[in-house]
Amino acid sequence: MVRDAWQCWLDRRLPRARQVRLDQRRIFILPTGYGYLYLLVAVLLFFGGINYENNLILGLCFLMIGLFVVAILHTYRNLSGLILRAGGGRSGFVGGQGSLEVVLIARRRGHRALWLRWLDQPAQEASVEGGEELGVWLNLPLSRRGALRPPRLRVESRYPLGLLRAWSLVALDQVCLAWPRPQESRDCPARGGDRERRAAPTGQNGSEEFRGLRGYVPGDALTQVDWKGFARGRGLNVKLFEEPASGRLWLRYDLLEGLPLEQRLSILCYWVLRLSDENRPFALTLPGATLAPARGGEQRQRALDLLARHGEVD
Amino acid sequence: MARIYQVPSHARGWLTLAIIATSLPQLVDGPWWQSPLLLLVLGWRALVDRQRLLLPGRVVRLALLLATVAATWQSFGRLHGPEAGTALITGLFALKYLELVGKRDAYVLIVLGYFVCATILLFHQGPLAALYVVGCLVLLTASLAGINYGDTHARGRQHLGVAAVMVLQALPLAAILFVLVPRVAPLWNMHLDSGQARTGMSDSMSPGQVSRLTESAELAFRVQFDGPAPAPSQRYWRGLTYSYFDGTTWRQARPPGWGERDTLYHGRGPAPDWYRGLRAAAGGPAWEYRVIMEPSQQRWLYALAVPFTDLDGLALARDLRLVADAPVTGTLGYRVRSVPAAGAGATLDGAERALMLSLPEQGNERARALAADWRRRYPNDRALVNAALGYFREQPFFYTLEPPPVTGDTVDRFLFDTRRGFCEHYASSFTFLMRAAGVPARVVAGYQGGEPNGDYLQVRQYDAHAWSEVWLAGRWVRVDPTGAVAPDRIELGLRQAMRNRSADQADGEGGAFGRLPVLFRLQQWADYVDFNWQKWVLGYRQEEQRDLLERLLGAVTPTRIALALLGAVLLVTGLLALLVLNRRRDQPARPLEREFRRLRQALGRRGLALPEAVSAAGLEAAVARRWPAATGAAGHWRRYFEHLAYRRDGDPPRSERLQLARRRRALMRALRG
Amino acid sequence: MQALDKALAQVGSVVLGKPEQLKLALACLLAGGHLLIEDLPGMGKTTLAHALARVFRLDYRRVQFTSDMLPADILGVSLFDPESGQFSLREGPVFSQLLLADEINRATPKTQGALLEAMEERQVTLDGLTRPLPSPFFVVATQNPVTQAGTFVLPESQLDRFLMRISLGYPAPEVELQLLAGGDLREAVRELRPVIEPAGLVKLVAHVGKVRASRDLLDYVQRLLEATRADDRFSAGLSPRAGLGLLRAARAWALIHNRDYVLPEDVQAVWPSVAEHRLQARQGGQVAALTQSLLQTVPVVRA
Repeated sequence: MVRDAWQCWLDRRLPRARQVRLDQRRIFILPTGYGYLYLLVAVLLFFGGINYENNLILGLCFLMIGLFVVAILHTYRNLSGLILRAGGGRSGFVGGQGSLEVVLIARRRGHRALWLRWLDQPAQEASVEGGEELGVWLNLPLSRRGALRPPRLRVESRYPLGLLRAWSLVALDQVCLAWPRPQESRDCPARGGDRERRAAPTGQNGSEEFRGLRGYVPGDALTQVDWKGFARGRGLNVKLFEEPASGRLWLRYDLLEGLPLEQRLSILCYWVLRLSDENRPFALTLPGATLAPARGGEQRQRALDLLARHGEVD
Repeated sequence: MARIYQVPSHARGWLTLAIIATSLPQLVDGPWWQSPLLLLVLGWRALVDRQRLLLPGRVVRLALLLATVAATWQSFGRLHGPEAGTALITGLFALKYLELVGKRDAYVLIVLGYFVCATILLFHQGPLAALYVVGCLVLLTASLAGINYGDTHARGRQHLGVAAVMVLQALPLAAILFVLVPRVAPLWNMHLDSGQARTGMSDSMSPGQVSRLTESAELAFRVQFDGPAPAPSQRYWRGLTYSYFDGTTWRQARPPGWGERDTLYHGRGPAPDWYRGLRAAAGGPAWEYRVIMEPSQQRWLYALAVPFTDLDGLALARDLRLVADAPVTGTLGYRVRSVPAAGAGATLDGAERALMLSLPEQGNERARALAADWRRRYPNDRALVNAALGYFREQPFFYTLEPPPVTGDTVDRFLFDTRRGFCEHYASSFTFLMRAAGVPARVVAGYQGGEPNGDYLQVRQYDAHAWSEVWLAGRWVRVDPTGAVAPDRIELGLRQAMRNRSADQADGEGGAFGRLPVLFRLQQWADYVDFNWQKWVLGYRQEEQRDLLERLLGAVTPTRIALALLGAVLLVTGLLALLVLNRRRDQPARPLEREFRRLRQALGRRGLALPEAVSAAGLEAAVARRWPAATGAAGHWRRYFEHLAYRRDGDPPRSERLQLARRRRALMRALRG
Repeated sequence: MQALDKALAQVGSVVLGKPEQLKLALACLLAGGHLLIEDLPGMGKTTLAHALARVFRLDYRRVQFTSDMLPADILGVSLFDPESGQFSLREGPVFSQLLLADEINRATPKTQGALLEAMEERQVTLDGLTRPLPSPFFVVATQNPVTQAGTFVLPESQLDRFLMRISLGYPAPEVELQLLAGGDLREAVRELRPVIEPAGLVKLVAHVGKVRASRDLLDYVQRLLEATRADDRFSAGLSPRAGLGLLRAARAWALIHNRDYVLPEDVQAVWPSVAEHRLQARQGGQVAALTQSLLQTVPVVRA
């Protein structure tokens, strides 16, 4: 209840944004444990100064207190003006970790010894000097499939003296995509040339009909390069095959009827990975989305993203 | 769990330096074993940092700790008390450095460092000591800044910069707290014996004793008068009276059967008759002043006759002098109001009168005979005193700091044989003669004179003096036989008197008096600083605070102090915040931007609201629409602005800025036309 | 720069009633950037590209993109002839000075990628050999705004390779009347006389880089870029590359207007066509309106 109210208050006070500049509205500041110890020492010195009627010890005590007050300003300043921008994201599988980039931007002055962490996650330290930008990648455990919003980002600093802790809870508007966790399955849920295809062992490309050679163009799959010819000094060439009708596999969601949704996606994910590893072309059909046949890393990425975003209402 | 050394390498230098700096005074003052201990720790630590050695295990650390405690016990015979405590905490400070691993250890180490800083101030209170401690605090702060900056690329030097800036900014706040935070009385009494033996007056006077003091230029006390100071010849700082003479030595004494209660009034309880008598006569002109005494390890204080104070921790003695409740072990400041006329209220009762006339049963027969002769010739006491002074003046007496030693009947030998002596010889023999003639008299010891420095007087040990007081017409009258022999001594002070004589005799006295003028000037200046330091910093106690706050705030009430404290702290913090956080504002506007803003604001005042993102051309168009007559002037301005802003790089020189400003004013004039 | 005015007039004689767009297209060319024209078919995209090629006497090729196109179809292939044991190189259409890539969004991403990479690098690596593309080299790509079946929308990262995106739109009524009354446009294009030689164009492009952009102007450009990054209504801000492009386009615009220094107005003129296609509005906002609104809010002279 209290936690919810706190979250609610936070959301109103510090709404999500793609870029956040820390200012007095967003920075909280409190003494650290060491700060309290420091004040205790100052108080002890005060009593010492009173009892020994020693004005200089009193002066030392007052100087320490003055330093504490100045430290409040400096600790605050170390966070104030820092700009955080949502950066890139690296997707991952459910149960694993993805990571999101937070770009720290220091306009005019440096921001030192900043500790960044998603709430309930380990922290990472970073410093940016004035006029610099720095991307920090923070890992995020992926607990469920889909586009995950990270929890609030806690930015904390105790610099310069460690007497005070200034922090802010920043809600950056960024998402990390969690792909389904691949689940192994013998049967390929595909429809293509021959139905109910088994997993084809690697190298079966050879069964396709050889058409000729052409020069290598960046982007061509390395598995199709004519390495033998290259060894004979004929340069880098790519073997061209007639695409057999059976080569284009259509991975289909509806072929997995009867299984729960997540499991279907997991199986599809497994096959996307497997076919990509074998560098075989495939297509993917989900309810409401279709991915045209292709192969390679980009196809794999698109297919996985499609699986991750399945069922999402935008 | 493996503990990782968490203090970044760029912070270690500052930490080590902070440890050395804060421990240094104790290494000099404290027991001998402190230096080897610190060297051991520093060396061990240096080897550990170079991975040549492991940090000591628990057993070794415990052994070192026990050894430190034992060494402290050995050196002081106890573990409490300031000296032992300081030695112990400095030792612990060093040992803590040996077990420094994590950030937490570093924090503990630095906290110990603050305590060590405080112990420095227990024993050293000069301005330089304070500055030194501020330096130590900067080093400790730099260490903190380094510890909290985990980045390995950080440079060590920037920590010192950060620390220095922060301490500098903290100073005004500290000053406000220092002035305004109410001083309270000690919660429990701490006696701190600084143990420094000082030269000074002693409670007895035998020949040669005062002259020894004159070799010392050490400061005895300083005086600051509220108004003009009395003439040098009137500055007789009374400290002690000697009323008992055993033939060679004068001593303090009380009439038989009297206790301290009869001779001292502390201001508590009903005032005794003699005090009320003095009070009743305390009218007429008075001197108001403040004395700051150096530690003397004695209870008596110095003041002009007849001193009145608020009797807080001081007492007035029946022989018209001030006595502290406890020996003066540290610098002591007190305010005095001296009323010369109050002497008329003094009494001299039977037992006391008898004491003031007492002499040894025999000895010094020639002096007694001389006194009896005078008594026969001058029945009037005053005439008799004058005759005695005339005797000193007319007979070939010499004032010298190096009188020949005399033994046996010291008074006779001096008066009739050697006739060379110092103030104590004159005072002693004069008082003897008076008593022998039946006039109550006593020797007074104290200081005479004082050199002005700035707005205060310095009274040094070589100003030590002894003179007599005789009871004439119902009051004590000061008689200084030395003045009859060497008037210079009284008018100009000892130093000047000696210098004159040395010029005459071409016989340099040397010692404390023959100093180089430049050095002397420097020393005077240093003393001036020291005096104000004593007065405003060390001597800023409850009373001084009350006085100052009364002047500042009108009345001293808790609410006013609280409000003033809050207000001042907030004000200074606000100013500091402006200073510290100001840099987050954008870079200052450049000249062209300022010029643009000025025109924009001027047009705004004429009622032309321009969009936020207006450009020079947009501004021109808006002006032309609103004031068609000004179209030409606006275009004129716009072209020149664009020329300066976009056709060239760098800020335009002053002449061109002025030109642009002229065109702006021309445009504004065109609006009116 | 009378030649530039003349060139504009020439192109304007066949692409009627679109002076601003023509100037933008010319600026894009002078800035050495590639142009994306987004329009419905039949709006004069081809005419514009062809006219530009004529006016500058550029070697002009046109490729109609289809979904079964392979990268090799654009870049060219070196085919191995088993009989002679030799490779024979066949250069693709990309080896031209002005390439009109019609309906680029019909090609598969891989083919798009091959072209866009060549555009960026201004060279093609074939058969292990790197071949530079001719100079000058411009791509005018067209794309249909309506997402039709079998189209691959250019991803944002690829859109960044185009310096500008413009659309011609329907002609005004009187212009349309003129158009209907006029003769064959193709004939008119073929009759255009070259005004500037390719070598002259290369010189002009080099000259664009020398147009002065003062510190105050750079500040303004930076503020604009910053505004897109800070504005939550966009899903991502402009990249530094976009900023450089913006500045270059503004310089070309200043050159077209016979100035050797850039004014904020130049930046504002090219701003929508440089920025819009690189920005995406969130929550169904109108990119065009949002992009335009920044010009109203970002101070030209810092107050």
